Amino acid sequence: MKFLDLLAMSVSNLKRRKLRTFLTVLGVIIGTASVVIMVSLGIGLNSLMIEQYASYGDMTMVTVYSNSYYGGGGGETDESTFLTDEKLAEFQRIDHVTGVSPVLNADAVLKQGAYYCSTNVVGVSRDYLEKIPLGQGELAAADDNELKFYYGNRVSMWFSNEKTGAGYWDNEEVPPVDFMGKPMFVVFDTNAYWQSRWSDSENPVKPPKKYMIPCGGVVEGSFDDYNNYSYDIYTDVELLKNQLKMVFKKNPIPGQPTNSKGKPYSYFVYNQAMVFVDDMENVLEVQQQLTDMGYQANSQMEWIEQAQQTTGMVQLVLGGIGAVSLFVAAIGIANTMMMSIYERTKEIGVIKVLGCDMRNIRNMFLLESGFIGFMGGVAGLLISYAVGYAMNHFLSIGQQMMGVAGDISRIPLWLAGGAIVFAVLVGMAAGFFPSLRAMHLSPLAAIRNE
Amino acid sequence: MIDKKTPIIQVKNLYKIYRVGETRVHALDGVDFTVYRGEFCAIVGPSGSGKSTLLNMLAGLEKPTKGEIVIDKIHIENMTENQLVEFRRKRVGFIFQSYNLLQTLNAVENVALPLSFRGVPKKKRNEIAVKYLKLVGLEKQMKHMANAMSGGQQQRVGIARALAVNPKIIFADEPTGNLDSKTTLEILKLMQQVVREQNQTLVMVTHDNNLASYADRQFRIVDGRIVKIIEREEAAKQAEGD
Ligand SMILES: Nc1ncnc2c1ncn2[C@@H]1O[C@H](COP(=O)(O)OP(=O)(O)OP(=O)(O)O)[C@@H](O)[C@H]1O
Ligand SMILES: [Mg+2]
Repeated sequence: MKFLDLLAMSVSNLKRRKLRTFLTVLGVIIGTASVVIMVSLGIGLNSLMIEQYASYGDMTMVTVYSNSYYGGGGGETDESTFLTDEKLAEFQRIDHVTGVSPVLNADAVLKQGAYYCSTNVVGVSRDYLEKIPLGQGELAAADDNELKFYYGNRVSMWFSNEKTGAGYWDNEEVPPVDFMGKPMFVVFDTNAYWQSRWSDSENPVKPPKKYMIPCGGVVEGSFDDYNNYSYDIYTDVELLKNQLKMVFKKNPIPGQPTNSKGKPYSYFVYNQAMVFVDDMENVLEVQQQLTDMGYQANSQMEWIEQAQQTTGMVQLVLGGIGAVSLFVAAIGIANTMMMSIYERTKEIGVIKVLGCDMRNIRNMFLLESGFIGFMGGVAGLLISYAVGYAMNHFLSIGQQMMGVAGDISRIPLWLAGGAIVFAVLVGMAAGFFPSLRAMHLSPLAAIRNE
Repeated sequence: MIDKKTPIIQVKNLYKIYRVGETRVHALDGVDFTVYRGEFCAIVGPSGSGKSTLLNMLAGLEKPTKGEIVIDKIHIENMTENQLVEFRRKRVGFIFQSYNLLQTLNAVENVALPLSFRGVPKKKRNEIAVKYLKLVGLEKQMKHMANAMSGGQQQRVGIARALAVNPKIIFADEPTGNLDSKTTLEILKLMQQVVREQNQTLVMVTHDNNLASYADRQFRIVDGRIVKIIEREEAAKQAEGD
């Protein structure tokens, strides 16, 4: 029997009992819609969470610290785990690592007019600088050898008035520091700076040299916006190292470790390293390797992993609730098919006497129940889209629940396709035993007179 | 044309025993006969004599308890259900007492139905259906739904449906059982004529001796046994004698 003939027969049988078919399909519509909506909420929740973490910072970045912290710690220093250029090159060779940036913190005092601040300047690689979203100015060319600072959009909060001592923390007024417009004077030898400031007039200390460092740019956003780069002052690490060498000559650089004899090392030791990974999936693996190498490694992925376990549970529960209604719909289909077979016992007998293949009879009923599933699946999916749209646009549940703007209900293509395929499969599974029953009905039923 | 040399149905020592609780019902109790190609045979007997049982077994709708059934040189007594369906599809046409048209289909579609089981494309099978509906005299009722036709008309559709697949043998169980006497004669003559024209073999079950006399041969059956086989000429003589 031709497939189209089979299909035509199934469809005409469904048309015969329109109301019953409609009610059965309605069950599948509700079942499919609840599964799709629930799963779409689960997906939405998960994506919102990832987006939230992503807004805190780059998720493919691993921060590496040395376990043997030098400097003020006073404990044993283990030179073998110092974060040096050599070690960073080793990190670069780990699978999935696309880039490594050193992080060198240099003490500095910044002054502009009456305002000053004592802070760290963070020296990072060009790769890293390129990731910083600048709102004003732009990243200097790679061959530009002039040291430039890139300021976070909230850095002015660290400044205070030199005479009154008042700063952002005292009066909540943002100090009127202008990074782009006015020159900034920077002192790198902070020890000398403080000595000169607090020295009494009897034995004055000569204040250290100030350098005017131009501003390369300011991170995007106003003072009230927040992102990962808002609070720090960034600069090119190589230029920073040159500057420090020039300022301190052979003297120890503050913040850099010294050997057991109190002598500085001939190379720079970085405070941290940033390791960039090609994909979120591989972050934890890279992180583990770094840990195995004897470093402390942190990333956003750890948190996401945990949060994903929670949302995974939520997704499972939501999907389960939807699945129950689809299961009820499946029972409805099975029931409808059984009814229809009882009604058509004679007809099935007749076509069997007339030589309709048993497999064709089975397929006819499977097609019928599959078709019920298909119609319910398609209609259910459309309803899911409508409900999802309503939730995203009129209720802004995402905003209320997670505090992030974004769609709470998301129906990716695989979910849409999967839902229809699943509804058809559920229909056919529900129709399977009824169809076997139809197949094995005796043709003698047709011969007997009613 | 009855071809006395080509047997189309051979039945040997056929038994059908039903078990009803403790008792055994011998519906068929050792039946032997042969039907030749082109013959119109009638199985006649009183109610409960086993006529339907015999016909069902010949059509492969029921399995015998014992014995052999050879149809067109093929043994069907040991076939599986699947094989039997295929056997019917390829060689057998069936006319029912209660017509058994599909209520959702019109006359043409009903006649074309068994052709669709053979995978004949729609256009082709509708042509064939129209041809046979004309043959049975239903030019005007082609598009009528089954329940919009009289019993006689429905049975004509039934006959066209049996003929449409061009089967080797047509079985008919009380084909006129639900019709009045006038229509009964019309239908009977139609069957006789059509079967002769198409050179087909027809096996008809009836309990009416008068109807049976239209057949080339009558198998008289009582209590599951063939008690007498009457040739047409004999039947005519018998009728005269009465
Ligand atoms: N499925 C069955 N189970 C038990 N006994 C049966 C069954 N089918 C038929 N019989 C018995 O077999 C015998 C023959 O039945 P069958 O239907 O062949 O008679 P028939 O000659 O066709 O009668 P009628 O003219 O009334 O149709 C009857 O005694 C009947 O009771
Ligand atoms: Mg009978």
